Amino acid sequence: MATEALQRQIQGKWQNSFARLNRDQQGITGLLGFSESWTLATDFLHPRDLNDPKANREWDMTQVRNAVETLSRSKMLPLLLENFLEEMRKQQYLITNDVNELMRQYENTEDIHHIARLIYRLLEWYRAWVPISELGHTILSAYTLTFQTHIYSTLPPSFSRGFKQLINATFDLAGTRTAPPWIPPTPAPLQSSLPIPRPDLPLWSSFEQLGMLDRYESLISSVCYEHIEAHILETCTRKWGERMLQPLREWMTNKIVPWMVMPYARGARTAEEARSMLQGVGSRFDFHVCKTLSDLRTREIFDIIIDFPDSQPALEDLKECLQRVDQRSQLVQTLRKANRKRLLHPGADTKDIIAQYVSIIRCLRLVDPPGVLLFKVADPIRRYLRERPDTIRCIVASLVGDGESGDSLVDENEPIQPLQQMQVEDYTDPSWEPEPIDAGPDFRTNKPSDVISTLVSIYDSKDLFVRELQVLLAQRLLAITDGNFDRERRNIEILKIRFGEAALQVCEVMLRDMTDSKRIDQHVQSQKNMILRPTIISRHFWPPLQAGKFTMPGQFKQIQDDYASEFHLFKPDKMLRWLPLLGTIHLEIELEDRTVPADVPPLEAAFIELFSQRDTWTVDELVASVGSVDRPAAIKALTTWVDLGVLKDEGGNRYRLLEVAEDGFSSSSGAPRPARIVEEVPAVLTVEQQQADQMKVYWKACFIEGMLTNLGMLPLDRIQTMLKFAPGYDRTVEQLGAFMEAARREGLVTASNGLWKLSKR
Amino acid sequence: MKVHVKNWHAIAQWRWDTGAADADDDGEGDVCGICRVPYEGCCPSCKMPGDDCPLIWGECSHVFHMHCLLQWIGTSSSKQQCPMDRRPWVTAERKVDRTNNAR
Repeated sequence: MATEALQRQIQGKWQNSFARLNRDQQGITGLLGFSESWTLATDFLHPRDLNDPKANREWDMTQVRNAVETLSRSKMLPLLLENFLEEMRKQQYLITNDVNELMRQYENTEDIHHIARLIYRLLEWYRAWVPISELGHTILSAYTLTFQTHIYSTLPPSFSRGFKQLINATFDLAGTRTAPPWIPPTPAPLQSSLPIPRPDLPLWSSFEQLGMLDRYESLISSVCYEHIEAHILETCTRKWGERMLQPLREWMTNKIVPWMVMPYARGARTAEEARSMLQGVGSRFDFHVCKTLSDLRTREIFDIIIDFPDSQPALEDLKECLQRVDQRSQLVQTLRKANRKRLLHPGADTKDIIAQYVSIIRCLRLVDPPGVLLFKVADPIRRYLRERPDTIRCIVASLVGDGESGDSLVDENEPIQPLQQMQVEDYTDPSWEPEPIDAGPDFRTNKPSDVISTLVSIYDSKDLFVRELQVLLAQRLLAITDGNFDRERRNIEILKIRFGEAALQVCEVMLRDMTDSKRIDQHVQSQKNMILRPTIISRHFWPPLQAGKFTMPGQFKQIQDDYASEFHLFKPDKMLRWLPLLGTIHLEIELEDRTVPADVPPLEAAFIELFSQRDTWTVDELVASVGSVDRPAAIKALTTWVDLGVLKDEGGNRYRLLEVAEDGFSSSSGAPRPARIVEEVPAVLTVEQQQADQMKVYWKACFIEGMLTNLGMLPLDRIQTMLKFAPGYDRTVEQLGAFMEAARREGLVTASNGLWKLSKR
Repeated sequence: MKVHVKNWHAIAQWRWDTGAADADDDGEGDVCGICRVPYEGCCPSCKMPGDDCPLIWGECSHVFHMHCLLQWIGTSSSKQQCPMDRRPWVTAERKVDRTNNAR
């Protein structure tokens, strides 16, 4: 039931459409012309099948253009486009078939050849279907979009893999001029005027036309990243002896940049243009080079440090990389982890830990001069070292240049400086700089910078070092028999610079005792020729020495007394007190069938002297005749002679002199075994022994004993509190606990429920 | 069997021969009554013990570091008396003769 108005409306529209299609021509000729044009245009635009030779027919381009012109005037182009896209959709299965076919071949053979073919095939399809440019930009871009949408939806996941392989293969083309089989020998027709530098140019153009460069951009750059990584790993791994960063950058310039021109700056006409186009992406790749190298070096850092002086170039590389890449925290983490795993465990020698620590100090100072990295890495090491009992001894031993280990911690070339104390920051200093940005709250810029100061600063006070130094020096000086202690003097002079004159005053006295002894001995020898050459020391200035009392028997006593009286004549107001356990005696035992030379400690000499009185002794008899000697020490001394084949253990604590050698020992006097009995017990008490001895004073002085007698049972902290009233008591509860534990083992006290009491005796 | 001693490197400590020294064997030894430092140590103003910081004997049988005593005698409040027994200080002859005779 159309109303009149509606009818009029329809009529008007009809008239309009007619007029538009007829284009004001007579009758319906316009309409006919339009119809013809439409058929021609749709035929022309029909997405044809490439495999069908019939579809590929020649077109009269003028006719086509006229037809398009007609359609355009009739404003029918959108309709044409819609029609065209619809046709395309119907024909898409053709492309899909091709894609599937080629991808199947690729998946079967993994040959990038098929991927390349696929690319060209797609390009062929694209070119075959592309509308002529007269249809306008809109149609072209709509076409491209539809085409790409379709191929991307068709391409299977494995295409990415193949594509990557294909890109990867293009790296190898860099230098070559001959194209590999998967690149068509004839270059694609539409080309820029640039001379073709590389054989893979057509491939890249195809990528671009198919819109693959944009879509697979990340894929392409990841291929490049992987290529760079592989190259770095291959060339730089464990190569620390030379700088790698510069060669890597050259490699980038020579190998990667020419490649980069393809995906990123193909359109560039001049080198200048190419450079500006490559700038952004180039710096991204350069960053990647730095990152990869710094990752690699970070992984290797522990071994680099072990190799240190030889691996310096690697560290310089790392330093340069770290400036570009923010990997400092990774470096710290990795190194800390490696240290924990490889260094800070009970199996590592303290000496090695310290040596590695010193290397770490040197290396990280090189990488990061302000020392933030070092501070973070060193902290666990320092805490660990503080817990080791022999840390100080090791440091001191290396300070004075341990004879055995050739490499001293102290660099010979390093100037000797006084120990540096922490300084308060001087904000008035015009060259003051704030702490680095990643410094922790504990970080101090004015850290002691030389290695020794750093090592000494592990502990809060340097007194511990000085004490240990005295012990070490005493051990060495007492072991000197040839009177040559120039090395020790030199060491002390060096250490004086470090620790200050006052701290080493005691050492100075020790050295003077040595010179005095030499002088006195010269005088005494000039008066009377003696075989005894003593070192005369000032007590109170030497660390406590192995005390022990026994009297040398026979001729030894005579020698000692002779010397003492000569000494007394020379120094009338002084007398000598012999330390019988110390020193060495060079003896020759003359037996019936042989002579045995030996270097032995005095106790051994005393025993063998006793055997010259009588052939058989028991241990107890021997001990009784020299005075008070530990039984284990006595047995050890006797064993020395048994080992030398002079005595024989007859069981039941009896020893017999072998005037004639028994079987098993070379009896012929021609080959006396030169024996050197190294004194195993150090002459000087270690610091721990000294502390234990001091603790005994507190016991002996009846502090603890009296306390427990008067008060019965006491907990440890009560004892500690009360001991604090004693003058000079400076032990911690832990030390006291250790001492009480030792006392319990000796049977002096018993403990129950944390309460200590005297054991009933 | 005979034992021939070829060479002997021994360690000894020196002590001042104060006449009474034999009694203490392993203790800290006698101390100077003025500075409370052992005789074999050195007085507070010295750094080297021994001949550089000798002892001084008094007629009253008291023994001090020489430097300590001289400093004491130098003060007016000392009235030239021994700090231990307040008798006038008279420096005794060294005990050299006595010990030599004793031996």
